[in-house]
Amino acid sequence: MNMTLVSNLINGISLGSVYAIIALGYTMVYGIAKMLNFAHGDVIMVGAYMCFCSMTYLSLPPIVSILIAMVVCTLLGVIVEVLAYRPLRKASSLAVLITAIGVSYLLQNAALLIWGSAPKTFSSVVPFGSVSLFNGDLIITGESIVTVAACVVIMICLTVFTKKSRMGKAMRAVSEDKDAAQLMGINVNKTIAITFAIGSALAAIAGVLLCSAYPALTPTTGSMPGIKAFTAAVFGGIGSIPGAMIGGVLLGVIEIFSKSYISSELADAIVFGVLIVVLLVKPTGLLGKKITEKV
Amino acid sequence: MLKVDNINVYYGQIHALKDISLEVHPDEIVALIGANGAGKTTTLHTISGLLRTKTGSITLMGEDITHIKADKLVSKGLAHVPEGRHVFLQMTVQENLEMGAYTNSAYTKDGILDVFNRFPRLKHRRNQIAGTLSGGEQQMLAMGRALMSQPKLLMLDEPSMGLAPILVQQIFDIITELHKSGTTVLLVEQNAEMALQIADRAYVLESGRIKLSGTGKELASSDEIKKAYLGG
Repeated sequence: MNMTLVSNLINGISLGSVYAIIALGYTMVYGIAKMLNFAHGDVIMVGAYMCFCSMTYLSLPPIVSILIAMVVCTLLGVIVEVLAYRPLRKASSLAVLITAIGVSYLLQNAALLIWGSAPKTFSSVVPFGSVSLFNGDLIITGESIVTVAACVVIMICLTVFTKKSRMGKAMRAVSEDKDAAQLMGINVNKTIAITFAIGSALAAIAGVLLCSAYPALTPTTGSMPGIKAFTAAVFGGIGSIPGAMIGGVLLGVIEIFSKSYISSELADAIVFGVLIVVLLVKPTGLLGKKITEKV
Repeated sequence: MLKVDNINVYYGQIHALKDISLEVHPDEIVALIGANGAGKTTTLHTISGLLRTKTGSITLMGEDITHIKADKLVSKGLAHVPEGRHVFLQMTVQENLEMGAYTNSAYTKDGILDVFNRFPRLKHRRNQIAGTLSGGEQQMLAMGRALMSQPKLLMLDEPSMGLAPILVQQIFDIITELHKSGTTVLLVEQNAEMALQIADRAYVLESGRIKLSGTGKELASSDEIKKAYLGG
């Protein structure tokens, strides 16, 4: 068996898992608030900086640092939703989109002011090293293992949460029909804020995992993964949780394979090219729902 | 039970409801009839807090609810089955009912049993996605979902819309039954004949104003109503 191929596949799945975790935030917020939160990528960056600061300056253990990053990002997500997006709930989607881009620049520039433009070297939060298999022919990094595992656990938890819990069901109700949800006594604004909170906490995890694998942390660290994850969400069918997962992982694999077998320079072009082809063939994405309504 | 006093509602520049006042007393069925666009649905939306009135007040069981948001009214005993049913199409029948008891969780289990007793057809479809139900079944689900909050006042918006005559009869039978078991009903209907048959009292809306009111019998025998709404 070709071990390079297997190794590339694993790297692709690992990178794709990060995309998938970010894409969940995009897709959940889109599903419930029908808006594209383009600042989501920058929340990843904030999460990574928080974890970095906590480990470097406060010398706290990685797990505590991750929790701090999650708490800060959760608050940040909710504050952004309440201050920037909530007043625009009835505004045109273009106004919301521009606001989201504005929030994105605000976060990037705030980070630039606080931490400067020089890259910080993020030390991995994964406590163990690489695993070597087949007499050293196949090496799997600890980061890959943790990332994929985290992705699987998050996927399972979110699925159970939305299917079984009262709040999860309320989120589905709001995403389907806000007026009807209100008539059930569901507080729509609160439900949307909780969705932002969950998405942002996941973004913090994604930021930490991303920077553990690719340690150069700058204020723009979140933008490209953010756009890729958005692509992944659309690719899988925006609004769909399993779609975000599949889209993310496929995108990661395509990206790594393009880099290894075609060209590093063209990898991003190929990734976005695949998106265009998928959308031409199936405009709702791979798992996108087509809603049929009975009259 | 419900007192709507002199409300005026606007959609932007359009003056949709003009000085509407109406009352629903405990244990009554009150019908709101009128042509398309007369303001029936707007009236219900304003009562349930989805729309706001510029003037006047709305009182539910003695409490001023004019400025209370829709999601806070459910626990005050108001349930609203919207026009077009608005069940959650991608959720199962059971999940729809659970959402109905969102503010009344302790009742979820008993409530679902009660709804299945009233609407046996839903029982067989409990794990089916609501989008796969027929129009009549969706109407039953929407009504069942509203009952899950154990409302004091049930507002029904066009429950017969788009249904086959046999189902219309069934839905009206169910409304009568609900009324007998102690639920007060405010019913909006285009099917004036059916509505006046079961209503204790009724209001006739025309272009955003209340044009006539009276008991169901009075209105059903009024020449004006016969001409305009009962086809002769």
